[in-house]
Amino acid sequence: MNNTLTIEAMHSPEFLERLLRVCRHRGFAIVTINATTKQQVTHIELTVSSDREIALLTKQLDKVIGILKVTLSASNEDIKASA
Amino acid sequence: MNGANFVVHALKEQNVTQVFGYPGGAIMPLYDALFDGGVDHLLCRHEQGAAMAAIGYARSTGKVGVCIATSGPGATNLITGLADALLDSVPVVAITGQVPTHLIGTDAFQEVDVLGLSLACTKHSFMVETAEQLGPIIEQAFEIATSGRPGPVLIDIPKDIQVGPSIAYALAQLAETQQPLNQAIVTEAKSLINGAQKPLLYVGGGVGMAKAVPALRTFIEQTQIPSVCTLKAIGCIEHDSPYFMGMVGMHGSKASNLAIQECDLLIAVGARFDDRVTGKLDEFAPHAKVIHLDIDAAEIDKLRQVTISMTDDLKQVLPAISVKPSIEQWQQHISEMKVTHANRYDHPGEPIFAPALLRQLAETMPADTVICSDVGQHQMWVAQHMFVDRPENHISSSGLGTMGFGVPAAVGAQVARPNDTVIAVSGDGSFMMNIQELGTIKRKQLPIKILLIDNQRLGMVRQWQELFFNGRFSETILTDNPDFVTLASAFDIPGETIVVKSQIDDALQRLLNSDGPYLLHVSISEEENVWPLVPPGAANDQMMESVG
Ligand SMILES: Cc1ncc(C[n+]2csc(CCOP(=O)(O)OP(=O)(O)O)c2C)c(N)n1
Ligand SMILES: [Mg+2]
Repeated sequence: MNNTLTIEAMHSPEFLERLLRVCRHRGFAIVTINATTKQQVTHIELTVSSDREIALLTKQLDKVIGILKVTLSASNEDIKASA
Repeated sequence: MNGANFVVHALKEQNVTQVFGYPGGAIMPLYDALFDGGVDHLLCRHEQGAAMAAIGYARSTGKVGVCIATSGPGATNLITGLADALLDSVPVVAITGQVPTHLIGTDAFQEVDVLGLSLACTKHSFMVETAEQLGPIIEQAFEIATSGRPGPVLIDIPKDIQVGPSIAYALAQLAETQQPLNQAIVTEAKSLINGAQKPLLYVGGGVGMAKAVPALRTFIEQTQIPSVCTLKAIGCIEHDSPYFMGMVGMHGSKASNLAIQECDLLIAVGARFDDRVTGKLDEFAPHAKVIHLDIDAAEIDKLRQVTISMTDDLKQVLPAISVKPSIEQWQQHISEMKVTHANRYDHPGEPIFAPALLRQLAETMPADTVICSDVGQHQMWVAQHMFVDRPENHISSSGLGTMGFGVPAAVGAQVARPNDTVIAVSGDGSFMMNIQELGTIKRKQLPIKILLIDNQRLGMVRQWQELFFNGRFSETILTDNPDFVTLASAFDIPGETIVVKSQIDDALQRLLNSDGPYLLHVSISEEENVWPLVPPGAANDQMMESVG
């Protein structure tokens, strides 16, 4: 199943590596990714595909230091706030 | 004050008094600052030893363990220790030197992309890019290592930042805020507990780390709910608590595993449904509703779908949901299972039976002794047959199962708690994996007692080969081991070998009464196995047991 996430994070040189590593390790393949950094904040639109529940990924992403907000765009539900 | 002096100053501000490490080119400025900087440094004889000593220091005290290494090979040698700390959620801060900023990315001498390496084996990591960042990064590193679910944090510091000017920084003094508990969930938890006929506590390492041992013990006293624990939670519950059945899982007690399969409410406290605990996941606690209490929201519903969960501080949660169910029948049943499936120490013949020896050691060792174990059969025998009063006193590489852990962890624990007895229980395979740390023991004259259980085998692997690989003993026979007593004596560590039961009493006395370090080398039969055993992929009630 595909899910689209919107992620906001503090910019750091290795941030994308962190994000991609967590996705791969937790069993989510990247379908599309678009990242833009402005004023020290990185904004990411990410579509992932997996058989696993998307919450398994979003809960891990919530723990990544530097991530400010993870939103599941499909349902527009604010995952970080509701966790 | 240069950057390196500033690092030492910042460590002191974090109340760090002791660090473990190994010097080298890219970290030399920091070693120069440590020379008379007022923080004690213990030279370990391998960076892996330094990382594991930091873990032993942290786990035996609840404080942050700090280790230091140079760039390149120094940093790569830390990796196994960091992974160990990650899987066991141990607060460790690792500081590595890096080549100067202008050389990063040029394949400079001893340059490795340590930040890249750290991503999979730390809770978080930093590379310091400017002098201004040093203060805030060090503060954040300690905050991240200790907050929520603890873990290792790495700080990579290029050499030019160590030698360059420092920039003053005032600690931000982060205020802790505690959310009130969700009362609706508290009520639901209480009604689940109240309505349960066969409730069971499944206690994990999170209890010790949350400093919630007293809260848990009070909860158990008030509710009288039976309990089991994980490898990391040994010591959380008094070993003679009436309805406590010991460890659960692959080498757990039979009573624990049967109770799990029978219970109708499982209260998981600071535990994470690890596969070594659950066996076949679909058949784990098949009749149970689950209340999951863990600070890490990512653990909730990760492996087991739960009925309700709370991610608040256990010290707050446990008193709030304490309610005494009426479960006399279940308690009676648990008491009977404990008797029927009690450990047995009768063993024929002269050769030493390691479980009985370890039991005897637990009964004779001084109060507040710290046991550090290595990895293998001996580790499981320690978990099954020894007992301690608090989780800080049982230090075992649980999540990563890292051979070579025992001796350096004991180094860290002994440095942290100089007045307590520290015993490293090792195996002949594991002992050789960080044997160089005998040099660290010698250097600091640490009075560590080493109990080496020698079956001349990689016993745990041999056991699996016997049971699951048709007895094809591929590369697990260690009849060519060195003479361990001679080896220890090369480090000025006295010792002796025992082979029969009648030698045990006196030898244990010599071990425990030695002023300095001591090696008790215990020769046992290679054929002893760890029982019971839940075979891989089986449900927890499918235990294999010793025949005869
Ligand atoms: C670093 C590392 N390498 C390999 C293993 C796999 N392994 C687990 S137990 C074991 C044998 C341990 O032998 P020993 O220390 O003699 O303990 P015993 O089982 O004989 O008591 C091995 C090889 C491991 N856990 N860690
Ligand atoms: Mg062995």
